[in-house]
Amino acid sequence: MRQILVIALNTFREAIRNRIFASIVAFAVGLLGLTLAVSAASLHEEVRLMKDVGLFLVSTFSAFLCVFVGANLVYKDIERKTIYTILPKPIHRWQFLLGKYLGVAAMMAVQVTIMGTALASQFWLLEERFSFVMVQAVWLIYVEVLVVSAVALLFSSFSTPFLSGMLTLGLFAVGRFADRLAEVRLKADAGEDQAVLDVASAAARGLSWLAPDLSLYNVTPYVVYDTALPAGFVAQATTSGVLYAALALGLAALLFSRRDFI
Amino acid sequence: MDSSPILSVSDLAKTFSLGFLGAVPGFRRLPISVKGIAQRVEAVRGLSFAVEPGEIFGFLGPNGAGKTTTIKMLMGLIRPSAGSATLLGHALEPGNRRQRERIGYLPEQPYFYEHLRPMEFLDFYGGLFPMTAQERRRRARELLDRVGLGHALDRPIRKFSKGMVQRIGIAQALINAPELVILDEPMSGLDPLGRKEIRDLIFDLKQQGRTVFFSSHILQDVEQICDRVAIVVKGRLRRLGPIGELVEVGAQGTEVLVGGLQAPAVEALRLPATALGAAHRFVVADPAAVDGFVRAALDAGGRLISVTPQRRSLEDIFVEEARGA
Repeated sequence: MRQILVIALNTFREAIRNRIFASIVAFAVGLLGLTLAVSAASLHEEVRLMKDVGLFLVSTFSAFLCVFVGANLVYKDIERKTIYTILPKPIHRWQFLLGKYLGVAAMMAVQVTIMGTALASQFWLLEERFSFVMVQAVWLIYVEVLVVSAVALLFSSFSTPFLSGMLTLGLFAVGRFADRLAEVRLKADAGEDQAVLDVASAAARGLSWLAPDLSLYNVTPYVVYDTALPAGFVAQATTSGVLYAALALGLAALLFSRRDFI
Repeated sequence: MDSSPILSVSDLAKTFSLGFLGAVPGFRRLPISVKGIAQRVEAVRGLSFAVEPGEIFGFLGPNGAGKTTTIKMLMGLIRPSAGSATLLGHALEPGNRRQRERIGYLPEQPYFYEHLRPMEFLDFYGGLFPMTAQERRRRARELLDRVGLGHALDRPIRKFSKGMVQRIGIAQALINAPELVILDEPMSGLDPLGRKEIRDLIFDLKQQGRTVFFSSHILQDVEQICDRVAIVVKGRLRRLGPIGELVEVGAQGTEVLVGGLQAPAVEALRLPATALGAAHRFVVADPAAVDGFVRAALDAGGRLISVTPQRRSLEDIFVEEARGA
């Protein structure tokens, strides 16, 4: 446990001291500020628009940031050979990976908290209350980040940052539409081959099984209309996310344990 | 002191499977090798040697000889294709904490987390060992002074010179006061003064009863501090033994320097001579003939300046083995 925490703390410290991280967070917060101006220009819809665009920005920036950091994470240590000085120490490879992941999770917690706070302060400026469902929505964005980070780490454990980033973004896109993909059943129009469409439909449904169901973490409609989430929804979505992240990390650890560091 | 080897390898081998088909499981068993598509490279072939406790052991070889691959296998970074190794009396087992707690390692051309300052850096590595925060701080201060970085405590590693990075790398290898220290090219990138400091440090480790196993191709350094060396070429062990035995004192003959000889006297001595100012240099191949030659030179009116047994340098042996492979 101690080794995991040491790696996690160092990863967190590295990210926090990285100027790119600070710049991205500052930019995202600035963009949220712009939302306030845009919302103010829309008649009677400013609060709804701000909720919608605000949550979209928090979610998208968080996802892209964790893909960027996650995809570079392990690769950078291997490429720069830093890992050569760590793995020969009394630490298991899976502990190293888990430490890296927890470091990113801590960093992303800071990022989501900063953006969530910026969003809440805009509500305060509009004299609108920051509802409980809003807090739940921000929490679910964080759970989504945990899932995407684990997937990025999985790809980062065996491929280059570019490929890891692309694969993660691909899985992220599929995951966002997983609920719709699971229902895909294409019907052939005249002149089309139904067999081909059946294969395509099956592939789409297969992808929805492979990718994490990220649609669970987008509860913007509830926030916009200030409606309570169904009972147990947050706990269920959190459990699902944590299990998917654990699966991705387990697979990453397996691949990592067999790898030669040439 | 326990007399069993602190490190031993037996028939250790590593074959890399390269090319896009090389990643296919089971490929390495197939007897095919096509460059760029499915290529097998034998980096280490049946290496066997042992390192005794308390000695400084030099692991030599030209570039591509398999030194770093061997060290990485010992450090659990690469899985051997065949053979076995023991470290501190136990079979090589990556992740074996008890074993790892007693070993220090510096990789070749190390690169570290640049955002850390020296104390944070050593605290990070110390944190991977069962050491208290107080122990880590004390040890870090000691080591930073020892490697000459006591003046750079506030400087992040990104601002370090190459030599400073090498020094702090050695400090991290010693943070746990290891019994066995494995250093891959520790003198690489250092100026003569830096190399001397590292040599002194390695020698100090030996004085403290620690064992040092290091690879290098700076032969002068190896010759000065190693008890024994192994020379590997193309993944195979070519020479192994104490420096004194390998360099074979007298094997290159004995140099006799004589002054005051006239030209007819030089010819009468019947050995090729090289004029060095007013003196002449002769090389007597047979050690048993040296006394007779010296007497003859003195009888011919010469003045004896020096008699020096010639020896092959480690470099001679190294070059010979590298060319012969």
